[in-house]
Amino acid sequence: MSKILEASRAGALAAPTHQPIRFGRLGAFIERESVFSWLMLTPPLLFLLAFLGYPFIYGVYLSFFHKEVARTASFVGFDNFVKLYNDPIFWQAVRNTIIFTGVATIVKASGGLGMALVMNQSFKMKSFARAMLLLPFIVPTVLSTVAWQWILDPGMGLFNRLLVVSGLAERGPSWLGTPTMAMVSIIMVNTWRGLPFFGISILAGLQTIPVELHESATIDGAGTWGRFRYVTLPSLMPVILIVTVFSIVITFFDFQLVYVLTGGGPANSTHLMATYAYTLSMGAGQMGLGSAVALSMVPVLGLLLVALTFFVRKD
Amino acid sequence: MAHSTQSKATRRDFLKLAAGAAGVAAGPWVSRNAEAKPVSIVFARESSYVKNFDVHFQNVMAPAYEKATGIKIEYQIQAAGGSAVPQLVSMVENKSGADLAWVQQEWLYRDALVDVSDIAEAVGKEQGGWYDEIKRLSIDKGKWKSVPNGNIGQLMNYRRDWFDEVGVKRFPDTWDEFLEAGIKLKAKGHPFGMSMGHGFADNYSWLYPLLWSYGVTVMDKDGRKVALDTSETAKAVEFVKKLYKEACIEDCIGWLDPHNNKAFLTGQISCTNNAYSIMVSAKRDLPEMGKVIEHGLNPKGPTGQRYHSLVPVTHGVFSYSKDPQAAKDFLRWIMDPKQYRPWIASGDMYFAPYLHAFDRVPEWDIEPRVKPFQKVLETGKLTSWPAPANRQHGEVINRWIVIDMFTKAITGTPTKTAIAEAVSQIKTIYG
Repeated sequence: MSKILEASRAGALAAPTHQPIRFGRLGAFIERESVFSWLMLTPPLLFLLAFLGYPFIYGVYLSFFHKEVARTASFVGFDNFVKLYNDPIFWQAVRNTIIFTGVATIVKASGGLGMALVMNQSFKMKSFARAMLLLPFIVPTVLSTVAWQWILDPGMGLFNRLLVVSGLAERGPSWLGTPTMAMVSIIMVNTWRGLPFFGISILAGLQTIPVELHESATIDGAGTWGRFRYVTLPSLMPVILIVTVFSIVITFFDFQLVYVLTGGGPANSTHLMATYAYTLSMGAGQMGLGSAVALSMVPVLGLLLVALTFFVRKD
Repeated sequence: MAHSTQSKATRRDFLKLAAGAAGVAAGPWVSRNAEAKPVSIVFARESSYVKNFDVHFQNVMAPAYEKATGIKIEYQIQAAGGSAVPQLVSMVENKSGADLAWVQQEWLYRDALVDVSDIAEAVGKEQGGWYDEIKRLSIDKGKWKSVPNGNIGQLMNYRRDWFDEVGVKRFPDTWDEFLEAGIKLKAKGHPFGMSMGHGFADNYSWLYPLLWSYGVTVMDKDGRKVALDTSETAKAVEFVKKLYKEACIEDCIGWLDPHNNKAFLTGQISCTNNAYSIMVSAKRDLPEMGKVIEHGLNPKGPTGQRYHSLVPVTHGVFSYSKDPQAAKDFLRWIMDPKQYRPWIASGDMYFAPYLHAFDRVPEWDIEPRVKPFQKVLETGKLTSWPAPANRQHGEVINRWIVIDMFTKAITGTPTKTAIAEAVSQIKTIYG
């Protein structure tokens, strides 16, 4: 074995140290960085164009047309948007979406930060706990939401059972039976599902903070809160902001959770823009109007994201 | 999609000749053996709560058709629970998918369905005629665009033992008696669970009949004028508010269609409006409960009238099918009494035929608790009634405008405002 290795090493030493590979003119062209990078980018770009770009552009097109299922489309300009402007359910869906996204994101961000700080400590079975925390993120939304239907059941549900058995309440609340509680419930389920994303991402950020910074702060007399406020939090801000941006996008477009849990009820109190767009397009057959609702989500979200990006850059 | 081995211009002519010789009812599908024919036909239907209905089709009917014609039937079962309509909409928009289907909410895509008047009229003629109300759904501008297959009856499902306990020995005949019984039952810890959320049948199957029994309809007969803005509507809304507060479980205003089944089967409620699927599940999984479930008719309102809501199952053939005639031949075949009657019987009359020939068949006697569902056909109306079942009506249903009128009032909106908002939205939809 060693002889073979020695022989190969000897051969390697005897060989020229740098043998240029000849591909010809085409090879040289491909090797140019600007060309090679485009070659690598083209397949995913084509994929994105086909599966995201085309539906998006078609959606934009439809929103300017009166298009009913199985009928030809006729151009109506901004008529669909004017209709939406005068539609109280649309404005309710806008309000609901902003409340849902805002509250859920704030809870997820603060909860995720707490989760990351705990996970950053040393304790037994830390790796197992970290893996388990990812579960809500891994389980398909529809599946976990069906489980939540049971958890939130007024009589047989886990929550109300716990409240009754522990003596905290004679009977639990109606989680999906009043507009306020239904909104609280969908925010809670969304938070449960999205918390690990924040937790794990912030944890990764926490682990990149040099220990020396904490040591210096301690020497300068900073306590636990001082180190968190002036070392940990500023170091984490870029991560928190980027994760928040992602989370806002995902939460803003949430559909499955509400569709399975409440269908937008009761009395439209949990109708989000995504569920309303679906209701109009697939339920009422108004493809143009539904697309207009979907398109209306873009500027609101766009403004939010531009503001956040600006803030991140400034930071 | 129907896949043709070859397509000849003379085939239709040949079929006409064959049909003329053998008679339409004799089975034009047989003649196809002699000609170029599709390899397969895709037939899409929502899965049935009575499993044997689908099993009978797959194990008996599909092989029989293949044996008789050489055409394979691909039975595409769609998940129950509201996902069939989006699938059908996608099929129609993409002009691909099934050749024929249970065309739920057919008003959405009637333009994509072929004329099946020849089949519907022949079937009606040979099987005692169609119930009138269903014609208002299947016939569009004088042409049958679908062939009615059956009605999923929706009635009051209730616990006889609990009703007995509070001294209600027969199911309430009027809405006031219904409320009275509900108050007693809720006091005993057995509230009613009347669905009022964003579902797709269990909500309107009692709220619309309730409105009608107060003498209110959503639109006038021609579908031109909103008829909801009346003092009777306010009375109906006030009644539902009282019913909810004093007799119902709190959750039911947010319920989707599976919720009331679940609540009933877990013993949380004593009454709800549903198809008889609750009884099917209870007999299978909870035999003790299965013995005490009964079905009651919707109560009468102040007008003295009793109404039910139809939940129609109709079959239509898509115009984009590569061979619509092959799909029509198959549709004619399944509606032939030789196939149709055993198929309906296999489903324990869960799908009640809209044909008068079935009015007195012994299949209705298989289970006394199924028999009341026959009454739904007599007093049942489409949700558009008395207006045409058109797209606008579908939009009102699918946006839950009328359902939310009730739930808004329940959750604090003044009754007048809730009605005014509903009327305004309906006016916008009808244009």
